[in-house]
Amino acid sequence: MEVVILFGLVIGFMLIGVPIAVSLGMSSVMFLLWYGDTSLASIAQTLMQAFVGHFTLLAIPFFILASSFMSTGGVAKRIIRFSIACVGHLRGGLAIAGVFACMIFAALSGSSPATVVAIGSIVIGAMTQAGYTKDFAAGVICNAGTLGILIPPSIVMVVYATAVDVSVGRMFLAGVIPGIMAGAMLMVTIYVMARIKGMPKGEWRGVGEIWASFREAFWGLMLIVIIMVGIYGIPGVTGAIFTPTEAAAVASIYAFIAAVFIYRDMGPLKETEDRAKSSLLKKPQALVTALFHKDTQATLFEAGKLTITLMFVIANALILKHVLTDEQVPQHIANAMLSAGFGPILFLIVVNVILLIGGQFMEPSGLLVIVAPLVFPIAIELGIDPIHLGIIMVVNMEIGMITPPVGLNLFVTSGVAGMPMMRVVRAALPFLAVLFVFLIMVTYIPAISTLLPNAVMGPETVVN
Amino acid sequence: MSSINRAPGISFIDRIEESLISAILGIMTVITFANVVARYVFNANILWALEATVFLFGWLVLLGASYAVKKNAHLGVDAVVDIVPAPVRRVLALISVAVCIVFSCLLLKGAWDYWANFANLPQTTGRWFPTGFEDSFRAKAWYEVNDIPIPEWLRFLEGAMNDGDEYEKLPRFIPYVVLPVSMALLLFRFCQAAVLVWQGKLDRIVASHEVEDELEEMRDQRGEA
Amino acid sequence: EDGETVIKFSHVTNTDKHPKGIAASLLEQRVNDEMDGVACMEVFPNSTLYDDDKLLEAMLQGDVQLGAPSLSKFETFTKVFRIFDLPFMFKNMEAVDAFQSSDAGQDMMGSMEKRGLAGLAFWHNGLKQFSANTPLMVPTDAEGLKFRVQPSDVLVAQMEAIGASPQKMAFSEVYGALQQGVVDGQENTWSNVLGQKYYEVQDGITETNHGVLDYMVVASVDWLDSLEPATRDQFLTILDEVTTERNAAIAEVDAEARQGVLDAGGEIRELSPEQREEWVVAMKPVWEQFTDDVGQENIDAAQAINMNY
Ligand code: NA
Ligand code: NA
Repeated sequence: MEVVILFGLVIGFMLIGVPIAVSLGMSSVMFLLWYGDTSLASIAQTLMQAFVGHFTLLAIPFFILASSFMSTGGVAKRIIRFSIACVGHLRGGLAIAGVFACMIFAALSGSSPATVVAIGSIVIGAMTQAGYTKDFAAGVICNAGTLGILIPPSIVMVVYATAVDVSVGRMFLAGVIPGIMAGAMLMVTIYVMARIKGMPKGEWRGVGEIWASFREAFWGLMLIVIIMVGIYGIPGVTGAIFTPTEAAAVASIYAFIAAVFIYRDMGPLKETEDRAKSSLLKKPQALVTALFHKDTQATLFEAGKLTITLMFVIANALILKHVLTDEQVPQHIANAMLSAGFGPILFLIVVNVILLIGGQFMEPSGLLVIVAPLVFPIAIELGIDPIHLGIIMVVNMEIGMITPPVGLNLFVTSGVAGMPMMRVVRAALPFLAVLFVFLIMVTYIPAISTLLPNAVMGPETVVN
Repeated sequence: MSSINRAPGISFIDRIEESLISAILGIMTVITFANVVARYVFNANILWALEATVFLFGWLVLLGASYAVKKNAHLGVDAVVDIVPAPVRRVLALISVAVCIVFSCLLLKGAWDYWANFANLPQTTGRWFPTGFEDSFRAKAWYEVNDIPIPEWLRFLEGAMNDGDEYEKLPRFIPYVVLPVSMALLLFRFCQAAVLVWQGKLDRIVASHEVEDELEEMRDQRGEA
Repeated sequence: EDGETVIKFSHVTNTDKHPKGIAASLLEQRVNDEMDGVACMEVFPNSTLYDDDKLLEAMLQGDVQLGAPSLSKFETFTKVFRIFDLPFMFKNMEAVDAFQSSDAGQDMMGSMEKRGLAGLAFWHNGLKQFSANTPLMVPTDAEGLKFRVQPSDVLVAQMEAIGASPQKMAFSEVYGALQQGVVDGQENTWSNVLGQKYYEVQDGITETNHGVLDYMVVASVDWLDSLEPATRDQFLTILDEVTTERNAAIAEVDAEARQGVLDAGGEIRELSPEQREEWVVAMKPVWEQFTDDVGQENIDAAQAINMNY
């Protein structure tokens, strides 16, 4: 009963416009002071512990930073050109290329809204010019953008791995096949729709264009290679070089170098009104000035600000998690569910429903911090693989992002496309159906999630 | 009118806060990168790198939280706020900001109570609200962090805080001081926000998603209002 | 229940396989059976509530009552505890047990009272073994390899003494880092090697028995003082009995874990007396660095006890 009041408070606060972080924190504090026996000091300790005790969460600011350098530089543009060169000539080609570009950008970035902004801001405009309806364009990008959290790296996966103490590296690997599958399903759907409705197709510009655009995009695509090789190594050539957390920091440094010194889209060497891009040879002092250049500072600041708002939610969600643990709520729920005779199938349905409803109110990472520890013990009891459970949760988060009333990607797409929310909702609907089918597949075919991590890293070790 | 002061770097204080945010994130990245290089290239280590980075991480977010209040950047749900008439919206905003103020008061007490003994200072008494300072307590300034060595120039703290005993590592009260400081700042910023809401200059204290700034920029470029 | 003293016990392992987890569960069961109406114990395993580091802070703060961190965690409180990390300080677990029961060991339990912690009992886990992704037979085999270590100055010095590179890493990343080759090796007890399945991702485990990994059950002095004398005595008696029972079983648990590693296909490398001596010669100089911290008299006491085993 107390727990119902707790969650009622959280939702109530949020709906009247209290920041999510404060809604979570304040409800937990009130609950603790009323029903618990621990002190306010323990809340402060938990707040500090959110950072000091969870080393893996460090990946979040670093992946955000890497993604910021990549978006500020014109990497998205180059990826889109490459995508169009590859698949633009098919019927519905520009839309298919948009999905493909989202998949590639998702492999550079840990967040879905960031993917929508980076790709959508270019592709939606291009599609309307090429004769697609704006609704169709918005619907495609809104959905494909959700791949940002399914294709590694992924902030949501980092949060899940931290919350239930599984390996981040394993979660990332687990996202690869589902990410490619979901992307492929979207592309096939678009192709079929395009054939039926006779949508426009681009012209085939030849292998030369593929090669040329690939070379242009190469330094951006290299980031994917650095992350994957760095975390997993190349069999027979090199072992891994860094942990997933460190990979994020290395990715940031690399993205900085690519944006400032290779692409020269930003920093001291970039093109200005009175001069073309300069070369490092002519301006060697740029090696130092780039570190303090206003573009560098601005990118660091933007990434820092985003980190602050996301992590403040997560830190307060961890306070709520601490309170739930302290009151042994997960055990009570587990016992209730198990004694009610829940099997794995019924359990997974319940998890999906909880997440789909919760996703209406909550920022995805914050929701995961709270829900994952509640359902994890039951999943283990029922013999569900923790990695499989993680992927199910991520796909649920994706769907939550494109369903009203609160859908992160809906907001962002409506902003990017300059369309009212409800129109975006309708536009996203057909593709939402694809993701639902995909969710059902992922839920009931564990191999989609576990095949690759088990092949590369061996079977999951449940340590607990 | 969903926000104020969106443009970055308006005031001097803004610039200090923004530079601090950039600097902390930059240092975190460089330390972590340096540790990878030390390990992989030089087969060496920076044993304090991980701990230093997580402390900086805490500093970044806790200090930044008050900046985010000032810039109205904290994530929230404004679906309901959007559909209610203006007078109701004002009432909701006032209630919301009151909740935030109470929250930061409680956290400020908690943060002080947590930090105080580490700095040889008394906690406050009282469960919800401070009713005074405790008479006797166990001083904990001897309590060191795990990995970060104490820099030489901080050695004077040994006499001042640790009965002259040597510190090998940084005492915990140093990284933890961010808690009371940041919670005091948070309270201050929420009070400022409350004034703006009261004056009718602000109708909500949340941003609906994480990329609002980017979208605003895009709208500017398209020439929309 | 109302009126009962609530004893929260937070630890970082599972409840049924790890020596500490088993002991904690037994303690929970006995307290809840025998002290019904007076006290009740809630165990929070798997770091769900606190990790060892935050546990001690929370205990001094009064938010948790009981815990059993590994001995190296107490080095922050008094550096004498570094004696348990010093390589080859104890001949075997019997010697460790005897040292802990001796006056020197009992004094160490009480040594943190001025900082607010009361040591109540030592709980065994066992002796540590080395493992790496290449065979380790002599100390030079470890040269240039990267080893994950706990945050302890002694363990860092120990690794440097054999020319290895000590690395700091979050515990949850260790398995993946060993598997992917981010680090080459680690040191741990048989039950941890088995529980974390490190044998799967290492070339083999070398049976060095070079160090001790034990725990100390602690409570805050203030909380202990606040208990009714009868309650406290009954609780401490139960704790004593649980400690005796589980510590006596440690040889068996350890042997089972070692066998478990073998059964699971892990490679165990035994050292000849000459090879072992090489490890001792390479690592023993570390003692000198920390003699001031742990006290020559404690080292002498430990060595005197070794003579009996
Ligand atoms: Na991604
Ligand atoms: Na939603």
